[in-house]
Amino acid sequence: MHIASDQKADNGSNPIIVVDDLRKRYGDVQAVDGVSFQVQKGEVFALLGPNGSGKTTTVEIIEGMRTADSGQARVADIDVGKDPKAVKHLIGVQLQSSAFFEHLQLQEILKMLGSIYRMKVDPEPLLNTVDLWERRSASFRTLSGGQKQRFAIAAALVNDPAVIFLDEPTTGLDPQARHLMWETIAGWKEEGRTIVLTTHYMEEAEELCDRVAVMDAGKIITLDTPEALIEELIGRGFHRDQEVRAATLEDVFLDLTGRSLREF
Amino acid sequence: MATRPAIYLTWMSIRMWARDRAALFWTFFLPLVIMVIFGLLNFGELGKVDLGIVDLAQNEASARFIEEAGNVQALRVSIGEEADERAALADGQRDLILILPANFGPAVSGQGAVWEPIAVQALYHAGRRAESEVGLGILGSRIDEMNFALSGVDRLVTLESEAVAARDLGYIDFLMPGVIGMAIMQLGLFSVAFSFVTMKREGVLRRLLATPLNPATLLTAQVITRLIVVILQTLILAGVAVFVFGAEFAGNFFAVLLAAGLGGAVFLALGFAVSGWARTEQQAAPLANIVSLPMMFLSGVFFSRDVLPGILQTVTDYLPLTFLVEAIRGMTVQGDSIIAQWPNFLGMGVWFVIAFIIANRTFRWE
Repeated sequence: MHIASDQKADNGSNPIIVVDDLRKRYGDVQAVDGVSFQVQKGEVFALLGPNGSGKTTTVEIIEGMRTADSGQARVADIDVGKDPKAVKHLIGVQLQSSAFFEHLQLQEILKMLGSIYRMKVDPEPLLNTVDLWERRSASFRTLSGGQKQRFAIAAALVNDPAVIFLDEPTTGLDPQARHLMWETIAGWKEEGRTIVLTTHYMEEAEELCDRVAVMDAGKIITLDTPEALIEELIGRGFHRDQEVRAATLEDVFLDLTGRSLREF
Repeated sequence: MATRPAIYLTWMSIRMWARDRAALFWTFFLPLVIMVIFGLLNFGELGKVDLGIVDLAQNEASARFIEEAGNVQALRVSIGEEADERAALADGQRDLILILPANFGPAVSGQGAVWEPIAVQALYHAGRRAESEVGLGILGSRIDEMNFALSGVDRLVTLESEAVAARDLGYIDFLMPGVIGMAIMQLGLFSVAFSFVTMKREGVLRRLLATPLNPATLLTAQVITRLIVVILQTLILAGVAVFVFGAEFAGNFFAVLLAAGLGGAVFLALGFAVSGWARTEQQAAPLANIVSLPMMFLSGVFFSRDVLPGILQTVTDYLPLTFLVEAIRGMTVQGDSIIAQWPNFLGMGVWFVIAFIIANRTFRWE
C-alpha cells in the first residue's frame, strides 16, 4: 500500500471530490468495499483496474446515478447521497456506452440536454471541440463508433461542468482520435476543470494523469502519481525483460498515417 | 433564461414523433386504411336477398306472382330451371329458392276458376340465415296477401309500421368509434412499450439519469406528446369517417376528445406497465399483443358484442377498450353527453388507476 501522496493532498487541501468509505453490494458481490480518496480541484485523476474491480460503480455513486449502501461522497462540498441533483448540475458525465434520443439531430440533442440544465446551448463550439460540426444534422445512430464516443464527450460539456467524469473515454478510438482526446483533456485541465477518468490504457494514465488509484475487488490497492508508482516498483528491483526502445509501434503508426483525425 | 425543460422536452419529443416514420405509419396510416377498407365493405347494410324462382306452372298466376316478387326492393329475383337453381343455392349464389308447382293458380273445373290449397316449396341456404329469413318473411306476407285476396276475407288485424329511426345509421357509424378506440389503444400500448424499452436497452434513459432531469419531467413530456397524437388521430379518423363516408357525429365534439384523451391515458399507463416489465423489444411485442389483440376483437370495434356468447359479453363489459369505444359510440351515434356516459368514464377512470399502480411498480430506468 502506497498512499503517501494522498496524505500530501490532504494537507494541500483544495479537494473538490471527497470520497469516504463507500460501500456497495450487489447480491453476493461486494462491488465497492470501503473506498476513500480525494481529488483536488484542477487535477486529472484516474481510477484504474481490471473489469469488475468496482471502478465504474464507484464513479457512478459519485455522479449520483447510484446510491451507496454506506459511506459518503461529496462533490464541491455537496453530499451526493443527500442532493444528487445539485451535484449533477455541476458535473459532466460521459458513460461507457452512451445513447441518445432517436430522430433528433446532434445539435438538437445538445440543445435539449442544455434545457435540462436550464441553459441555452450553442452547439457549434461544442461540436467543434470534438470535430463533429460537419455532422451536426446527423442522428446519433448513424455515427461511427468513434464519432459516437466523441459526441458523448460533447454532450458531457453542455453545462460547462466544473468536474468531468469520463468512463473509458478512448476505448474504441483509433490512435489519431485518442491523441486528440488527450489534447482535449489537457485543455480542460488548463481551463481549471477537474477530470476523473477510468481507463484500461496505462500509457493514457501515465501521459494524462496527475494521480492514479488502482482498484481491485472493490478496494483501492494503491494511489499516487504515476511517476511515484513506477519509481516505487523499480525501487523494489523490478526491471522489464524487453529492452526499452526509443520509439513504439504507435509512434510508427502515427508517423505513417499522420496525426489528423480521419472521420468527421 | 432558457425554456423550461418540460416544455422543451415536449417540443423535442413531438419533433421526434413527426420524424418517426414507423410511428406515423402505425398511428395514422394503418387505422385510416382499416377504416377505409371496412367502410367500403359496409357490412352493416343487409344486402338484397337473392331469390331464385322455379316456375313449373308457367301460367298467368305464376307470371303475376313473379312480377310482384320483382317489385319488392329487397329481393333480387332470377328465374331458372329447378336443377340450375338448386345448384346456384348450393354455390351460395341464391339465398332462397321458391318452387311454384305445376298446379299453381286456379284450378279450372265445372264451377269456374277456383283455387285449391297449394303448397309452394321454399329452399333456403342454411349458411345465410339472415338473408333467407328476410326473404321468407317477405314471401310469407305476399302469400298471406294472396290468401286474403283470393278468399275474400276481411282483414281484422293489420300491422301499420312506420320507420322512426331519425338517423339513418350504417356500419360506418358503428365502425368509426371502434377504429378510433382501437387506434388509441395501439398508440398507447405500443408506442410507449417500444420506445421506452428501446431507450432503456440502448442506455438513453441511463444517460439522462446522469443529468439533473427530473424523471417525472421526461414522463410528462412523453405523455403529453402522445396525448397530442391521440387528439390528432381522433380528428383525422373522425374527419375521414364524417366527410368521406358520411358517418354520424351527433355528440359534443369536445366531449368525444375528452373521452379519447382519457382512453389515451389508460392505454399509456398500460404501455408503461408493459415497458416496465419487458427488458427487450422482443419481450414487449408479445406482451403488448396479448393485451391488445383480444380487445381488438372482443370490445366491439368491428362488430357488436351482442353476437358474443353471454359469459363473454359480461367479461368484455369490463375491458378498457369496451369502455372507451362505447363512450365514444354513445356520443357520436346517440348524441350522449359525458354525464349520460358516466359509467364508461368511470370504467376508464378505474382502469387508469389500476394501470398507473402497475406501471409505478414495474417501471425501471435501466
